[in-house]
Amino acid sequence: MAKPDTGGPDSESGLPLLRIRGLGVSFGPVDAISPLDLDVHDGEFLTILGPSGSGKTTLLRAIAGFQPPSAGRIEFDGRDIADLPINRRPFNTVFQDYALFPHMTVRENVGFGLRVRGTARRQMTERVDIALGIVGLEELDSRYPAQLSGGQQQRTALARAMICEPRLILLDEPLAALDATLRRQMQNFLKSVQRQSGITFLFVTHDQSEAITMSDRICVMRTGNIEQIGTPRELYYRPKSRFVAAFFGASNIVEPCRIEESRDDMTVVSTPVGTFSVKGPPPENTSGLALAIRPEAFGSDAETRMNSLEFEVAAVSFVGSETITELRHRNTSLMFTMKSRSDPAARPPETGSFLRVGFDPAECALVTGAES
Amino acid sequence: MRRLRLLDISLASVTTLVYLALYLPILLVFVLSFFSMRRGRVNWETFSLGWYAKLFDNEALGDALRNSLLVGGTAVAAAAVFATVAALHVNARPSSRSARILEYVIFLPFLLPPIITGLSLLIYFRETGIPRGIATIIVGHAVFVLAIIYRIVLTRLNVLSRSLVEAAHDLGASKFQTFRYIVLPNLRMPLLTAGILAFALSFDETMITLFLTGTDATLPVRLYAMMRVGFTPEINALITLILGFSIVLTVAVAFAWRRNAGLENNSATRI
Ligand SMILES: Nc1ncnc2c1ncn2[C@@H]1O[C@H](COP(=O)(O)OP(=O)(O)O)[C@@H](O)[C@H]1O
Ligand SMILES: [Mg+2]
Repeated sequence: MAKPDTGGPDSESGLPLLRIRGLGVSFGPVDAISPLDLDVHDGEFLTILGPSGSGKTTLLRAIAGFQPPSAGRIEFDGRDIADLPINRRPFNTVFQDYALFPHMTVRENVGFGLRVRGTARRQMTERVDIALGIVGLEELDSRYPAQLSGGQQQRTALARAMICEPRLILLDEPLAALDATLRRQMQNFLKSVQRQSGITFLFVTHDQSEAITMSDRICVMRTGNIEQIGTPRELYYRPKSRFVAAFFGASNIVEPCRIEESRDDMTVVSTPVGTFSVKGPPPENTSGLALAIRPEAFGSDAETRMNSLEFEVAAVSFVGSETITELRHRNTSLMFTMKSRSDPAARPPETGSFLRVGFDPAECALVTGAES
Repeated sequence: MRRLRLLDISLASVTTLVYLALYLPILLVFVLSFFSMRRGRVNWETFSLGWYAKLFDNEALGDALRNSLLVGGTAVAAAAVFATVAALHVNARPSSRSARILEYVIFLPFLLPPIITGLSLLIYFRETGIPRGIATIIVGHAVFVLAIIYRIVLTRLNVLSRSLVEAAHDLGASKFQTFRYIVLPNLRMPLLTAGILAFALSFDETMITLFLTGTDATLPVRLYAMMRVGFTPEINALITLILGFSIVLTVAVAFAWRRNAGLENNSATRI
């Protein structure tokens, strides 16, 4: 796996900050997490992305120490932390419900980590001031959590988790409770705090757009397994499974798919709707092989593209900046979706008319696995 | 419109009647503690604090009141400690066997008729040769009020979001620090409420006390005994004092709750 350019400091030895091997968690007969491997590098923003119930929280709780794993090992800085109690683990958590202490002020909440370590009062005040400055809550330090807005509670929780200068912060869907506008603000804010502090963030979300905008790397989970790990671009353009393709919106799936030839960095496949060139080598395991094409990959300038298809327009819907066109393949009646930028000058295609569209080998991917 | 007004009026009258029925006797007692009565009418010219002076001279009642306060205070304190420990254990391991056994053990005396509890304790103390007296009454009352304190504390612990405790551990707090800084402050209000409630229960508990008392009577037992020879009017002064004390306590608790409500009303820290 290529090491991401994280902008933060990284150990020269190439040793990951957190090394997870064969980690499994089961609740009775149910495997919430099947044994999995994961490396978290120093200074990176790594997002665990997956639908509800895929085991994201369980994975985070196992790392934090709240949930004893049923198998495997977790190493921090090369040291097994299985026997390290929660309060000695050198990382902190931002909880989904923030878990601010209701009977303490913002200042007391933020300073809690220092207080239990017996930090001297003056030093504590100084460090809390700095942390409050970072999250912009200097003015509200004597308020109680109940007197704060959702965003302010969020910032308090972040300051509290950062106060002891952990190497790693775990965040479990910290933005899920915020409304859309605030959410976007907090995404930028979290990202900038992470970049400036150089602290490694292990961030959990079920929102793929949030994952794409914030992460250095994304780890996609599905029913307790890691489906794929990569940079946002890799997952977006080169999904390896149908599940990842669907999750990132590559919604046109063509199957069955047979590999005709592959050379250089190109694979040619034949499908019921034609023969196409796909960028990249074929996957090693080809069971359930299918071709995933992004809806925005289709362009009506078919002549200039390597792959092309003949469609009948089934429906056109204008959704603001984009126009979504439902297409029916001429020979097989298979349905496709095309997303294009709305053009105020152009007339949209008529329903029932014929349309020839093309797409580039880099905008489709060979995926495997069961239906998602 | 007119029907509505009629309804309002009748509702108001019923309410007034209920309040009169509830409070008129109390009001009468209050008045009689300061004034004397002649031929069924209050003689308003006779205001005096004489009955209060008499009350403080009445050693039997004074001793009984002191015993009641001592028993209530000690029993509630002991029960509070035990109930809190038990609730902490049950909250931490709700499905363990010890938790289930503990629940039964705590609730049984509260659900049993007091006469059974009193009798059982009496037999136990007699068989073990423990002399009856204040100490045995305290044990009886502690057993009796345990359940109510336990229930209130446990309810609060259940509501106290588990993630608060986890967050404290996560930030480096030891088990003791978590209890000291996070759990205990959140138990202050429930313990206060439960304590007052338990104290009130203990204060008028008669049945169990009757079985366990030696020569030292608590107030209800003393009053019960006095009934046979007839009451003297200082009883009115006593009731007025207790009433005043209860009102002050109730108002204080209400204020404490309201002040606390501002902090508790934090949806984000509850799941
Ligand atoms: N304490 C628990 N007891 C039993 N099953 C659990 C428990 N916690 C989580 N699970 C199960 O483990 C799976 C993963 O849950 P979770 O990690 O919370 O998923 P996510 O955070 O991705 O939504 C789910 O099927 C859930 O029902
Ligand atoms: Mg979750």
